[in-house]
Amino acid sequence: MRNVLGVDVGGTFTDFVAYDAETRKVSVWKELSTPADPVTGIIAGLARYEDRQSVGNLRIGTTVATNAVLERKGAVVAYVTTKGFRDVPFIQRGNRKAHYDMSWVKPKPLVKRRHCFELDERIDAYGRVVTPLDEAQVRRLAKEIAAMPEIEAVAVCLLFCYLNPEHELRTREILADELPDKALSISYDVLPKWKEYERASTTIADAYLKPVVGRQLKAMRGKLNSAGVKAPAVIITSNGGEMTLEAAADAPVQMLLSGPTGGVIAGRFVAEDLGIERLVTIDMGGTSTDVSTVIGKKESFTTAFEIEWGVPIQIPMIDIRTIGAGGGSIAWIDKGGMLQVGPQSAGATPGPACYGQGGGDATVTDANLVLGRINPENFLGGRMKLDKAAAHSAIAKLAGSLGQEIEEAALAIVRIVDNNMVGALRSVLMERGLDPRDFTLCAFGGATPLHASALMREMGIPRAVVPIHPAQFSAYGFIMTNPRVDRQRTAQLVSTRFDAERANRIVDQLVAESLAELRAQGYKQDIEVHRALEMRYLGQNYELELPLTLERFAAGTTAKLWESFHEAHQARFGFSTPGEIIEIVNFMVTAVARTAKPALAEISVSDSPAEPKESRFVWFIDGPRTIPVFERAHLRSGQSVAGPALIEEDASVTVLEKGHRLAIHRHGHLIIDATQEA
Amino acid sequence: MRFSENGFYIAKYVKCANCGMLVYGAGVEKPLQGKIQIYCSDWCVEWARLRATHDGFFRLPIVQPKPAIEATARPNRPRASPPDMVMMNILDSTMVSICREMGILLMKTSYSTIFNEGLDFTCALADTKGDMIACAEFCPTMIGGMPLLIKTCAQEIPFETLEEGDIILHNDPYRGGLHCPEHTFFKPFFVEGELIGFAVCIGHIAEIGGMVPGAFCGEATEIFHEGMRIPPVKIQKRGRDVEEVWKLLLANCRTPRQNYGDLRAMIGCVNLGVSRITEIVNKYGKAVFNRTCEDLMDYSERRMRAELAGFADGKYGFSDVIENDGIEAKPYTVAIDIYVQGDEIVADYDRSSVQAKGPINATLGVATGAVYNGILHITDPSIPKNSGAFRPIRVVSPPGRVTNVDYPGPLVAGNTETHPRLANITIGAMGACVPQRVMASESCTGTNFVFGGNHPDHEEYFACYDIMSGGWGGRYGHDGNDCVIAINGNCRFNPTEVFETRFPFRVENCELVPDSGGAGRWRGGLGYRRTLLATAVPITGSQCSDRHEVKPWPIFGGAPGGNGATLIRKAGSSEWKTVRELYGKISSSKYANITIEPGDRIMLTAPGGGGYGDPSARDRAAIAEDVKEGYVSREAAIKRYAFSEE
Repeated sequence: MRNVLGVDVGGTFTDFVAYDAETRKVSVWKELSTPADPVTGIIAGLARYEDRQSVGNLRIGTTVATNAVLERKGAVVAYVTTKGFRDVPFIQRGNRKAHYDMSWVKPKPLVKRRHCFELDERIDAYGRVVTPLDEAQVRRLAKEIAAMPEIEAVAVCLLFCYLNPEHELRTREILADELPDKALSISYDVLPKWKEYERASTTIADAYLKPVVGRQLKAMRGKLNSAGVKAPAVIITSNGGEMTLEAAADAPVQMLLSGPTGGVIAGRFVAEDLGIERLVTIDMGGTSTDVSTVIGKKESFTTAFEIEWGVPIQIPMIDIRTIGAGGGSIAWIDKGGMLQVGPQSAGATPGPACYGQGGGDATVTDANLVLGRINPENFLGGRMKLDKAAAHSAIAKLAGSLGQEIEEAALAIVRIVDNNMVGALRSVLMERGLDPRDFTLCAFGGATPLHASALMREMGIPRAVVPIHPAQFSAYGFIMTNPRVDRQRTAQLVSTRFDAERANRIVDQLVAESLAELRAQGYKQDIEVHRALEMRYLGQNYELELPLTLERFAAGTTAKLWESFHEAHQARFGFSTPGEIIEIVNFMVTAVARTAKPALAEISVSDSPAEPKESRFVWFIDGPRTIPVFERAHLRSGQSVAGPALIEEDASVTVLEKGHRLAIHRHGHLIIDATQEA
Repeated sequence: MRFSENGFYIAKYVKCANCGMLVYGAGVEKPLQGKIQIYCSDWCVEWARLRATHDGFFRLPIVQPKPAIEATARPNRPRASPPDMVMMNILDSTMVSICREMGILLMKTSYSTIFNEGLDFTCALADTKGDMIACAEFCPTMIGGMPLLIKTCAQEIPFETLEEGDIILHNDPYRGGLHCPEHTFFKPFFVEGELIGFAVCIGHIAEIGGMVPGAFCGEATEIFHEGMRIPPVKIQKRGRDVEEVWKLLLANCRTPRQNYGDLRAMIGCVNLGVSRITEIVNKYGKAVFNRTCEDLMDYSERRMRAELAGFADGKYGFSDVIENDGIEAKPYTVAIDIYVQGDEIVADYDRSSVQAKGPINATLGVATGAVYNGILHITDPSIPKNSGAFRPIRVVSPPGRVTNVDYPGPLVAGNTETHPRLANITIGAMGACVPQRVMASESCTGTNFVFGGNHPDHEEYFACYDIMSGGWGGRYGHDGNDCVIAINGNCRFNPTEVFETRFPFRVENCELVPDSGGAGRWRGGLGYRRTLLATAVPITGSQCSDRHEVKPWPIFGGAPGGNGATLIRKAGSSEWKTVRELYGKISSSKYANITIEPGDRIMLTAPGGGGYGDPSARDRAAIAEDVKEGYVSREAAIKRYAFSEE
């Protein structure tokens, strides 16, 4: 059982990545998906894998949960809350998506107002019971819900339950007793943090998904069994961890970002492989670009996910910024005569003009082709011949309206799409107080290596890595995950009246809960526990996350903690307020079970200079020049290439600009460094 | 503007008799009805003459006022080559990203809930002419107000006195500002010793002293009741705090610790802006930067002109009524006439009431920003928001009106209550021109309940500006949205769990108001209500709202939206009463300093929106769904829509 198999079930394709622990061989292949039934694609793909009998572990990324919320095809949910508050999911937060857009329609929650119910109970802001729960009323409500056959799930969110869960827990018991056939989610389990709308929205989403996801995962296991695949299967979760099928069915809101996390986990793998402290991953595909960071070998997380604008799901997820910039992004001229690129994409059909499938719009790929950066004979390893004339005429149309030469217009397209990606990089770096000069760019996805050198220059990023198989690299993430549990709780404590006892109790409880959850999934060894605090100055409304390094809170040890907050505030925001009262808002615990990871094979070493396979006429901002072209497969560890140059491989091209130098890592990654003269 | 001889204070605010702008130079003197009037320009003399002699539409191509600083500013260099569109695209998105980054810092580090939950602030970059070259999408009223604010301030700051590291603070509503809580920070940025421009942020500081905690004094009759007024002063010089200024500011508010935090956050914000934009100017060079900024403003101007050219020429008027000013129980009219002439418009507030005794007056900054806001709602939202977009729009707001308050008239509600009315009538006026782009009246109120008191858990005074808002009006193709902030802000409501953690109130409900959406083919959105119970200590409350008596207007045959309300139930009583009944105030929507004792309840209701089009044309399935969901009661459905269940 030496093999690990990762499967990413997408809408069009199911991607497979298999790792053979003995030979260290990684194989990558694709199978058409059957949208109605994700398992069919998995089984078909497995059939193509000769070593399927030796698969010891199956890791599945699935968009089941994502699609159910995006297409609004989840269960009919009953929502139960504190008296006076059933309209919270409808009132929301009152702000609007964009200024000046009068056509905007405020999004609806995942629940109907006629299915919202109230309980006479109240807990106050100190966690004290103001109005006790009326258990008879809960039973009456349960009977009312039981009489509504369309309702498949119940979500419960009571005010201040994160301070005192007594009423929610009791409500859960009664409802479970009275409604054994209905799925049930309570907010204390799903997201025990303050702000009732966000918590309600997240809890409703969990209930909305449970029946659908539960059915699908159960069917999946059944079909795998009957196809003879007995290997244990896990689902990749939004936090970059994994959960058993059973655990995932019980907390489906955890799998919302199951698929897209692969690339970021793969990025973490690069950071570990190369010992990179600060990495920013950028994955440019046909229609979009995903950007994320890996700092201290850890992915970055967000709790700001939204199903659509204004409908939040505040489960910690890997933080991925997506923009509409890809090889297929269409260049167009706006009403004021300004050139714009994207977010519309020519997609796979008709695709860029150069695909010769009838697409007449100039795209980024067409521009790269016109500039000589893409070899029309070598696209997708030569499997697809590109039509250079079609690209030329598409760009010529645009150039005509701009009053520019064709190459000038093509350069403009590339510069604008680069700038769009710079915007995405700014938003994950500068807008979070991170300095790009401290980062390494990890460029994967078929189209990114064409732009990596330019992005380094524009952002002042000194180094980039183009990992092996950049076009399929994100699938590597699926074989690199660890089982992981994140638990958080809101409990405000201030520095001037700090209750160390209570703080210790909360941390202990969160640690115990996380470990119990991992144990329940069968993980008992090699478990790492990370503890963190979210803190702020009393009066602020947003927190900074600081790792909790104190073993125990005690009167004597907290001074160091407050000091570290002042320092963190200074580092992040450029100022601090010494002596100010500090508040701890959230306690966070992450438990990770470290499982064995694949190691990459080493490529051969050479001390002779790299030999170009040809030279080509390529356009850059400062004009055209003839530059050498190298075949990536022929490059050896220890060799290096000075820019300007092109490095071609099967499904990608790396453009190396003047002032950049490229070295080959022993695992085959390309490392680009800015040199002095850049 | 007449300054004292020592320059320490303003002896007289001098305004153009036509457009209401401050006149810094000599101006143009002309007699009108036997009295010498001062105008900012010949254009204003001519406009006033034409308006007095024409009832209908007339034309006068606009000439924007030329502030003195523009005369001395470096002239645009003659262009050797066409604009670099790629550079423009790159610089615009980079500058907007810098402004957004400034805003994120402000949101994350500020203390007032109106900042950090409410997002009542905005961040921008300006050039040395005071033109706004970029801004991020935060608070629209401030975006509209920003150009005038920067230009006015730029007039009063001798640039040669500016040094690297200086930060200027300003909140004077009569000098381009919006109202006293809105504090503006300017930080100049230099490259190679040359002043290139400013990083700017405006933010709402909740507590600034004055007659009531939280500034919204419904009974103010002078600016001095509304809190501390700050002329342009340096709060930092060469990167160091001017301690005297800090001490003065912090001695004049009820919540110094909070204000200190907010002021620090705003300084952090402009510091960040300056460091980022300086890097950018260094990267591309001063010449490219300056020229590209000019190109961007020209581009926005071109885009705006193209939009306006699509509107049919003519004069389009609209008006609305503010129920009272908190001082006298009488209504005030806000009226606008929009003259569309080719690819330009003039928006004239001349038909509006004379200025009120109470705080509903708008400053010129508010009135100007409201026109911009309204026009931006009916034109292409993708036009970059810089001063260029506003060049084809001339706002005329004669002084001494409810739409352009004279010193020392009160005005704190002008920015929150009157702005949305003005933006809405701008949109309403254009209904006759572009019916499918407009919307019936929204709630137009932020409810603006402010309160303060001594916190029972610690010895600190607390103050809060609480925002609620109601329904949008119906618009072509869609019902109004429920419970969305009025058009002047993009604030978020306070979550109950945050609210109760901070303040000694218990929120007893937070619910939609059925039937508050005006009937129509597309009905208005719903308002909502909250009931707050004082739990532990007496709380001092004040409010500046409206629409308790005047309903949000419908359009094209719809019905008006439901009213808002404020009702109080004293401890031990079972009766809800208005503030007027219970406290003997003139107005129930605008009042100052009522005491809410422990056990008392206050119920705040935000209005719904007006309906669009004839209710009988409403889709039958939509009516049935409204009844099922409880947005419209069965009774109202029968009465308003002749609904019957088949």
